[in-house]
Amino acid sequence: MKIELSNLTHIYDRVVIDDCTLDIDGYQSIAVIGVSGSGKSTLVRILSGLEAPTMGTAKVNGLEVHSEEHKKKIGFVFQKHNLFPHLTLKENITLVLEKTRDYSKAEAQEKATFYLDLLHLQNQANKLPKHVSGGEAQRASLARALSIDPDFIFLDEPTSSLDPILTDEVLKAVEELKGLGKEFLFITHVMSFVKDFADYVIYMDQGVIKEHGEPSILTNPKTQSLKEFMEKVR
Amino acid sequence: MSSIFKSKAFAYVLALLTLLAFLAFIILRQRSGFELDVVKPYTSMWVSAFFKTIFISLITLAGSLVLGFIFYLLSISKIKYFNALIDLFTEVVYGTPLLVMVVVTAFLIGPAFGSYNRNVLGVLALIFYMSPFMKNIFKSAILSIDEEQYLAMEAFGFTTYQKYRYIILPQVIRILMPPLMNNLSLIIKGSALLNVLSYEELFYATVVIQSKTYAFVEGYLIMWALYLVITIPLSNFAKLIERKWAL
Repeated sequence: MKIELSNLTHIYDRVVIDDCTLDIDGYQSIAVIGVSGSGKSTLVRILSGLEAPTMGTAKVNGLEVHSEEHKKKIGFVFQKHNLFPHLTLKENITLVLEKTRDYSKAEAQEKATFYLDLLHLQNQANKLPKHVSGGEAQRASLARALSIDPDFIFLDEPTSSLDPILTDEVLKAVEELKGLGKEFLFITHVMSFVKDFADYVIYMDQGVIKEHGEPSILTNPKTQSLKEFMEKVR
Repeated sequence: MSSIFKSKAFAYVLALLTLLAFLAFIILRQRSGFELDVVKPYTSMWVSAFFKTIFISLITLAGSLVLGFIFYLLSISKIKYFNALIDLFTEVVYGTPLLVMVVVTAFLIGPAFGSYNRNVLGVLALIFYMSPFMKNIFKSAILSIDEEQYLAMEAFGFTTYQKYRYIILPQVIRILMPPLMNNLSLIIKGSALLNVLSYEELFYATVVIQSKTYAFVEGYLIMWALYLVITIPLSNFAKLIERKWAL
């Protein structure tokens, strides 16, 4: 994945992203880390085209992030599973495929079944989200994101609402997907997962990219800020 | 012995017996006797009044649903005047007894517009009265779809029509149904007040039958029972839907 940020700034009622510039290329799974409120979620939302930056530009693989072409390439997994609660896990996938990707009913069914199986949810396919565990719902959300054949999977703290066991279950599922040839951009507080899964790390603090580099920066932080962060999360 | 006291069914049977004993006490304490035969010839009048009550209640439900939705739209409008208007109307309605609403609509508002059709004005009064309640139901149902779901819809690229048709409305209807049933129950009970306009609903029919037969005790009890025949199944239906459709 190639990410280019140029003087990227985002303001809600305060500055959330403060004049970030970045140019990286050639990494398959990029982790964004930092304390809550450091601007991670906003950065990922901007990179997915869900939010337009106040100032500056952002490109992923050469495409402007707000272009429809770019948006169609992303499968997004949110903090909460965000499955539509009135639909079964399978219907959550088929609705997306039929209505937004022009699949026929049969094709959508087949695809939904394939991805639910891939994430070991074959027995839960016809249940409503409220009838499955948080981990299963989050895996279904991952299956839904994969089903649209995205180039990128963006994950915004997919395990923040889960207990440690379910967190493990979801992160294992993500790791299994590495062979699919997708590229990942994810936010997480689980540092062991960052070390195992990421091949690049972006560390944010108060809206600024304080440090970025290969995961070795986590063991040898250059800035005081990252050093303190690593001590806290350990 | 102790397990029977813990059983739910037994508890209900006991409660029902208590209620029946209370009723028997009330009937026995009346000075006049209890004779169902005298009101028997008026069965068809009661049946017709029973269905009229249901009929106007359903019309009121439909009317207040439509007006309530319009009120909801006005209450979220960017035009402040509309918000204020709905706010004010809601306050006035909340502070008005239904009986007052009915007579004011029928005897003041209607005539001011040249209308003296009391049947129509009576139903209109019920509709006006229920609309702010309906507005609130819409409001809470639509609010209950959280921000994050909209984000998901956005991320997958649903069009506005698709969002409403496949995701928002199906959920809103599920959330709406139980309070809607409860409101229907409110309407049915409130419709009794239309008797002051001589509309032939249950209460009015009962008063007429009583004046012809002097069967006051029987009349009131039958009327009471007929209301409960509608409202108790309705409230249980609402509970059932709430359980089945909860998201």
